[in-house]
Amino acid sequence: MAVLTSTDVRQKNLLEDYAPQVGVYDELLDAQGQPRSGWQTFCRQLGELAPGEFARRWDQAQSLLHENGIAYGAYGDSENPLRPWVVDPLPLLIAAEAWERVAKGLAQRARLMDRLLADLYGPQTLINRRVLPADLMFRHPGFLRAYHGQRPAGNRFLTCYAADLARGSDGQWRVLADRTEAPSGLGFALENRIVVSRMLPDVFHRCQVERLAPHFIALHQALAESAPQHRENPRIVLLSQGPGTSNYFEDAYLARYLGYTLVEAGDLAVRNGQVMLKTLGGLLSVDVVFRRPNSEHCDPLELASDASSGIVGLLQAARERTVTIANTLGAGLVESPGFMAYLPACCQELLREDLLLLSVPTWWCGDPASKSHVLDHLDELTIRRAYRTRGQDLPFHRQLQSWSKDELAAAIRRSPHAFVAQQRIDRSAAPVWSDGGLKPQRIALRSYAVATPEGFEVMQGGLVRVSQSSRPLDLSILSGEGSKDAWIVSQQPVSPISLLQTQPQTVELRRSGAELPSRVADNLYWLGRHIERSEAAARLLRTTILRLTSETEFEQLPELPMLLRALAEQGQIEPGYVVQGISVPLPDLRRSLPTSVLDQHQVGSLRFTVGQLFRAATLVRDRISTDSWRIISRIDQHFRPWPRYAGVDLTDLLTMLDQMIIDLAAFSGMVMESMTRGNIWRFLDLGRRLERALQVICLARSALEHARELTGPVLETLLEVADSLMTYRGRYLASLQLGPVIDLLLTDDTNPRSLAYQLVVLAEHVERLPRDHSQPLLALDQRLAIGLLHDIRMIDVPMLADLHARGQSAPLVELLTALEERLPKLSDAINHQYLIHAGPAQQMTEIRMETPT
Amino acid sequence: MKYRITHLTRYAYSTATPVCHNLVYLTPRQTPRQRCRDFVLEMSPDPAHLTSRRDYFGNQSSYFSIHQSHAGLKVTARSLVTLAPVELPVAEKSPSWEAIRDELPSVRTPEWLDAYQFAFDSPCVKSSVELAQYAAESFWPQRPVLQAVADLNRRIHQDFRYDTEATSVTTPVHDVFQHRHGVCQDFAHVAIGCLRSLGLAARYVSGYLRTLPPPGQPRLVGADASHAWFAVYAGSSGWVDFDPTNQLLVDTDHITLAWGRDYSDVAPVRGVFVGAGAHDVTVSVDVLPEEE
Repeated sequence: MAVLTSTDVRQKNLLEDYAPQVGVYDELLDAQGQPRSGWQTFCRQLGELAPGEFARRWDQAQSLLHENGIAYGAYGDSENPLRPWVVDPLPLLIAAEAWERVAKGLAQRARLMDRLLADLYGPQTLINRRVLPADLMFRHPGFLRAYHGQRPAGNRFLTCYAADLARGSDGQWRVLADRTEAPSGLGFALENRIVVSRMLPDVFHRCQVERLAPHFIALHQALAESAPQHRENPRIVLLSQGPGTSNYFEDAYLARYLGYTLVEAGDLAVRNGQVMLKTLGGLLSVDVVFRRPNSEHCDPLELASDASSGIVGLLQAARERTVTIANTLGAGLVESPGFMAYLPACCQELLREDLLLLSVPTWWCGDPASKSHVLDHLDELTIRRAYRTRGQDLPFHRQLQSWSKDELAAAIRRSPHAFVAQQRIDRSAAPVWSDGGLKPQRIALRSYAVATPEGFEVMQGGLVRVSQSSRPLDLSILSGEGSKDAWIVSQQPVSPISLLQTQPQTVELRRSGAELPSRVADNLYWLGRHIERSEAAARLLRTTILRLTSETEFEQLPELPMLLRALAEQGQIEPGYVVQGISVPLPDLRRSLPTSVLDQHQVGSLRFTVGQLFRAATLVRDRISTDSWRIISRIDQHFRPWPRYAGVDLTDLLTMLDQMIIDLAAFSGMVMESMTRGNIWRFLDLGRRLERALQVICLARSALEHARELTGPVLETLLEVADSLMTYRGRYLASLQLGPVIDLLLTDDTNPRSLAYQLVVLAEHVERLPRDHSQPLLALDQRLAIGLLHDIRMIDVPMLADLHARGQSAPLVELLTALEERLPKLSDAINHQYLIHAGPAQQMTEIRMETPT
Repeated sequence: MKYRITHLTRYAYSTATPVCHNLVYLTPRQTPRQRCRDFVLEMSPDPAHLTSRRDYFGNQSSYFSIHQSHAGLKVTARSLVTLAPVELPVAEKSPSWEAIRDELPSVRTPEWLDAYQFAFDSPCVKSSVELAQYAAESFWPQRPVLQAVADLNRRIHQDFRYDTEATSVTTPVHDVFQHRHGVCQDFAHVAIGCLRSLGLAARYVSGYLRTLPPPGQPRLVGADASHAWFAVYAGSSGWVDFDPTNQLLVDTDHITLAWGRDYSDVAPVRGVFVGAGAHDVTVSVDVLPEEE
């Protein structure tokens, strides 16, 4: 699935040269080389594409993926960059009639898993009646006794279920793995669909592909209906493990798609047995937690987690049914492969039905007869761990891979119960776009089911995983290799569905969206600050580089010292350039500036600031629009030293800075024009205003501190960096004087770049923050904001300018310094009041039994 | 015997905390020999939320949370417990330990099945070859199980040094075993590990030990203590308790609070609070015999 360039236009019909692998079930072509049922329309449509068209469209689709920043892996971590999500342009097609049989089996299997959990966390009849070996359960490291005895709403243990399927050479689908803890991949399935259907819209429509949206509607209904006491309009939150964990992209994606508040454990707290969301406005009760982290990380009081993760008292709240957690805490128990050997019997016992969709034949070595079978047939079997903890497969997988057959046999003999063996399945292959043509590659399909009052409903589609080898899939569906969209192809036309059309009743008008968790407000505030900091740095650098690359001698540029002082204060260059005589190190600076500006490890460098900007944006990705995200993503992509690291000179840097300033303006425009004026916008803007105020002061001080240097070119440069030169010229034509410059930069509250403007807006924002209006006195943040504004309004500009002209720079500089010291106090006050809710949680010292003898 | 028991736990925080959540196992368990009456659990400050439940092992646990700023927490558990003397099975007549080991996986009566779950590794106790080898000296072929366990109990008491400084609540059993020292909780874990390493079922018992004052001296209030020991499943002889710390007969001086696979299932008091400060904990237990 290499990225193909559109130069490769020679191919005629994509499908003509496709050669299936001999002896492998091919998804596209039957034994006679004819397209299988479900694929005919697709093949015809694809054949009609003009030569090269497919490749050209795929190029475009790739850039969409790139712009959307679809990636997974540790988020925003510069040491472990994200791996891009790899999707193949050719979907896997399955005829609806054939899929219906599989879907029926999946729905039954989901129901079985749900009942299995209800039994194991309840009466355990399966163990008492010896349907399941008792020690399979008792040895299970994931069977935390605290989970037992929960009675979730509607006696529903599973809301979401997923299964990994593979089709063997006999053409039958079999289950490779069950997923019950918190099945991942839903967001990727959705994203694949968007990318591929947008790339082949005509083909997509002609093929009558079943939609994915009904599945998400069912998911939302299942979550909403599971609310305690069937509360109307329940508050549903999506609990994520947060940035830095591999599923975060998907969590944010799903939260935005489903319209849920994305929360981390720290955003929730249990008060009086009720789960509460910490928001700017205070604590709000939560009805349903759509859980993404593993169960054991969800409650440090009762489960095996440390105090810093999870929500203390969550399990007890679940027991008391003041909140619904989906899936139920402990639901991952039955995704361990050990259970697969016993599912047909469990199905009989619990549902009185035959298991419709079989697993790959599985033996649990804890059973003596199974063990000897496994040891006798080791060559034909795949050995896996009997017990699985979600997200921890990789090291065990590697270990098992590294063992020789003898080592494996010895390990099985030593602790048979730790292993299962599975029949190898020669997985089917499907065509994959590769080097301008189609090649067969092995696939597996992750499919999803969601609980509804009428039973489990299976997604009409899924996430296809592609791999080079036919090796079994021991790892997560999200690991490493490529993916595909899956199209369930209907005989009938398919009606379009949107998530927003699902409410038959009239919706009450609202002026605010989902509640804003304090943590999110904090992240938005910092996003605002980093955006402004990036812009200030970019403008200052651009002006400086224009001087450095001009033909004028350095000695004839009186504004340079001021620029260098400001740059040094921002941390863009070494302070040494400012202290020493400038003429000596300047040629030096020309060479070193690109390197230091692009050095992501140098605190204060523009690349560093952009990195922080990008990171802050990833943290609030579910809160900013897709277009805004694309801009940020582009800034991050473009402003990178590689792959032209060595070659970047001042001219290149100038181009990059121009682009960045335009992109930042585009982002600001998006915020200005498209963001509702709620708390999300307010905190973003608070951050921007505060940072801009600090930047203006910093810039003004670097010029005004040195009264003797304040010549025309210096004042002009000051206006240029502060983006106020045009306004000045419009007002005063060519006459450059200190008084008007100070007014425009500091005290003119009609200039959106001035300090006064920032302080006016800051005071307005602070006034509108949520607060208890019954308090007679002003809060600290209000007093600070009003005080700052008052001080800037009281400045006597002509007098200060006059003093300055006579060489007395101290009064003005002192004033700026005083303002500069109080702005961070305002920031702290806002932080304290709104953004920090509580300290870290700690485990209490446990009491040890110490009886003296 | 009849006892009035007061178990006091105090936490003192260096800085006030706004929130704490606790899970306690402080209610004496009802057993065929033991009855608990008048159980009272008091917290200071008052909890905003308090609820009790029966856990997976049949113990009574209580959960409470406090949502007002507090610099200290006091948990007091009071109860009135009556205890009947133990009727010990005759050790020589108990089944052989191999018979118990072999029947555990196959007999499926509720009692055996309940016992079987105590034959496996648990969070604090992992079986090992070393523990099995140590135990083997007491478990010769066909030895009656209770005789063998009594001997193992005696050997642990003799080979291990009681030392409150040597271990902490998180010291692994392996370290306790290597260094042959620890406290009652550690000794109970070692014994449980030994028995499970042989394929037997053993459980951890949390409770109190009534202490007798030295002859001629008055009884000191609050000088009694939390205690821990273990029990082994002996088939037709049922569960039999052993105290490796004191090598005492577990009889009317041992009051049972709760049992589980190991300490982590039944820690008397555990909690999580919000705040960055340090904290101290003190415990006092008073087991006052009453006239019947």
